[in-house]
Amino acid sequence: MSTVTQKAYQWLDARLSISAWQAMAEKKTVPHHEFSVWYYMGGIALVLLMVQVATGGLLMVYYIPEIASAHASILKINTQIDFGWFIRSLHSWGANLMILGLFFHLFSTYFMKAYRAPREITWLTGLGLLVLCFAFGFTGYLLPWDEMAFFATKVGIDITSKTPIIGEYMATLFRGGPEVSQVTLSRFFVIHVFVLPASLLGLLGIHLLLVQLHGMSEPKVFRERPKEQQSVEKFFPTFVLKDLMIWMLVLNVLAAAATLAPWGLGPEADPFAPAPAGIKPEWYFLAMFQILKMIPAYVGPIEGEHVGMLLFGLVGALFAAIPFLDRHGEGKNHHLISEAAKWFGIVVLAGFIIFTIWGMLE
Amino acid sequence: MNYPVWTVPFLGTTWIIGLVACIHIFISHFAVGGGMFFAVTEWWAYKTGDDRIYDYLKKHSQFFLILTTVAGVVTGVGIWWAIGLVNPSGTHTLIQIFTLGWAEEYLFFAAELATIFVYYYTWNRIPREQHLSLAIWYAIMSVFTLIIINGIITFMLTPGNWLESRYWLEGFFNETYWPSLFLRLLIMAALAGMYALLTASLIKSDLDFRAKMLKYASKWFIPIFILGPIIGYWYFTNLPADAVENIMTGIQSSGIGNFSVLARAIYLSMILSGTILVFVFVGPYLNPKGFSFNAALLFMVCGLVVTGIGEWSREMLRKPYVVYDYMYSNGILKDDAAKLNAQGTAFAMVAKWTPEGASTQRLGKDMFKYQCMSCHTQNGYRGIKRLLGERDEEAIVSFLQLLQESDPDKNPYHGIMPPLVGTDAEVAALAKYLATLKENEPATQHVAATTSGEPRTSLE
Repeated sequence: MSTVTQKAYQWLDARLSISAWQAMAEKKTVPHHEFSVWYYMGGIALVLLMVQVATGGLLMVYYIPEIASAHASILKINTQIDFGWFIRSLHSWGANLMILGLFFHLFSTYFMKAYRAPREITWLTGLGLLVLCFAFGFTGYLLPWDEMAFFATKVGIDITSKTPIIGEYMATLFRGGPEVSQVTLSRFFVIHVFVLPASLLGLLGIHLLLVQLHGMSEPKVFRERPKEQQSVEKFFPTFVLKDLMIWMLVLNVLAAAATLAPWGLGPEADPFAPAPAGIKPEWYFLAMFQILKMIPAYVGPIEGEHVGMLLFGLVGALFAAIPFLDRHGEGKNHHLISEAAKWFGIVVLAGFIIFTIWGMLE
Repeated sequence: MNYPVWTVPFLGTTWIIGLVACIHIFISHFAVGGGMFFAVTEWWAYKTGDDRIYDYLKKHSQFFLILTTVAGVVTGVGIWWAIGLVNPSGTHTLIQIFTLGWAEEYLFFAAELATIFVYYYTWNRIPREQHLSLAIWYAIMSVFTLIIINGIITFMLTPGNWLESRYWLEGFFNETYWPSLFLRLLIMAALAGMYALLTASLIKSDLDFRAKMLKYASKWFIPIFILGPIIGYWYFTNLPADAVENIMTGIQSSGIGNFSVLARAIYLSMILSGTILVFVFVGPYLNPKGFSFNAALLFMVCGLVVTGIGEWSREMLRKPYVVYDYMYSNGILKDDAAKLNAQGTAFAMVAKWTPEGASTQRLGKDMFKYQCMSCHTQNGYRGIKRLLGERDEEAIVSFLQLLQESDPDKNPYHGIMPPLVGTDAEVAALAKYLATLKENEPATQHVAATTSGEPRTSLE
């Protein structure tokens, strides 16, 4: 290090304790085994989130959250603002890739049983972050105010209203009235650019802090190895540099999607027009949408959609409860519960994939 | 129009050339870059006397020999087959103009091939100085193949003074010759580093040496990232004005999508080049021990994608010509197109394989085959049915008449598509045929020439 760099480092170190942070990062290790690739999924979601924040901020410069101008403002971004189409494409494609990354992160964590003690709260905050990202997707989808966005949102809120007990209340809260209107757009905008980012910031902070506190979880296959065969690598710089490398690959995929298939814009929404054929939600809601379509109108005395929403709620609740049910070698039924948890995950994942593809093909 | 037309459903003939050429470029550029890599690396091994580098080079040369002499040669011949079938007029033009150039290229290529075989089979059999000389000789021979072929490839985009003088060397040393030559040398060095990353990541015996070689291989990217932007700009400033205009139109209309695919491909190659630099820096350079074979493989995919996009963009820049300002991509000479339309001569009169007194349907079909199918398919890539959208026969006629306009203000496709050649009756026949295509199921296409009809008068 040159004298100037050294002096600058010392100045910053005295104020920010960089060396202490560095020592901590260097002390931390990451297990190295055949499933190590899954450790990168959280980082991938994180870098895509950073892309969302940066591009979302830029889009806000020109976007107008008013039903008479929303569609026109997106059209302007797409056609008149220099590289506006690119920023918007990065935002839309980035959102989808981020949710895909989160799914990989969720299920890899699940199958490696990384939710077990002491990482229960990390797991719960992770699930919370996924729900927030779904909400980001749902609210962001309406903002361009095009035909598909309008009717898909309408259908989406109608489905929400079928949640037992609180459904109607939630639907009215989102819509701000009986119909999707200016109030809905305003609410979705505020939720999308303020409520959700603020919530996400807090939850993500806790999630990342806990990840640092507890370190990377070690899967069974690694723990059962003799100590001398348990190879680890330093979190800093080794793992961080690899993380950066993977991020570059992900950014390549994002850039390819954004440039080769720029995100389009449908015709402006007309609330009085009949709903177009083939309304579908975004792909990550498609499995639920498909299941709801297949449930008969009434299951016994209960409305079919209520049953569907109850089912989704139950799956969500089980996912949240899993760290407390499937614990490290505790109880006489421990092995049985562990296997059951694994198969529950497999069924949910397979169901998600099958119904999503089914929904796409229909 | 002087040759039978090869039709490839869905994919289109352009992609046949594109796919074969892309694979060939990945290998041929490695063949030249790898030559430089062997010369420099073996010199390094000779200077340091490091046997481990010699061992590595020996293994690397086995991979190199097999890849370049088998896959490289097969795809090289494949390109000749493909261009001969897809664009026979363009191919014969290039052969006629550069007969001597091709002969020279062949000689250098034969010398290159012979040298690499001798190089590989003399490992540990001849003194190290002599083996190093072979590496240097191979590098020189392979660079000379580039020196020749670069003149022919750049000629197609910028034919230079050849357009007036018709003297082959004036076409050979054209406006983009030098920037293209240096740019390709930089790309070749980077590709050599990329392949070396792959083989170095497979070293298992000595992990410190593996890290050393990975770091060394990553340094082969330094030239392109220092000089690449400068030479890239030099290349850009020598492009034909209309090609630059096409890029600019694309930049302005990227959000709408019209004519913007070239501009978007250029953005993508620039972004990917940037991320590749970061990737090399944080990967094999800063953290060689943590750089796995899988990472090298993924990296290679990115590198090859950038190379492929770059080549594709170069091809697109040439549109609507196969030899800029001389021959259109459908094989019709620029001067002939203008002359035929000005004189009101029927296209059928110069299309050798269209029989005299052909029916309207046959005429329309032949117009489509000879003038559209070099770029368009019926249902697939640049599918004509999709592009025509909701237009009926009358609207198609209006659209085709637009394509006959030579005034850029009246024809938005000027400089992107060749002008349509034909009389009013022929345009009507083509419109009728296109309208029928939209109504019917796709007709069965044959990989065969039109077989009936006597060859008619030629313009050449």
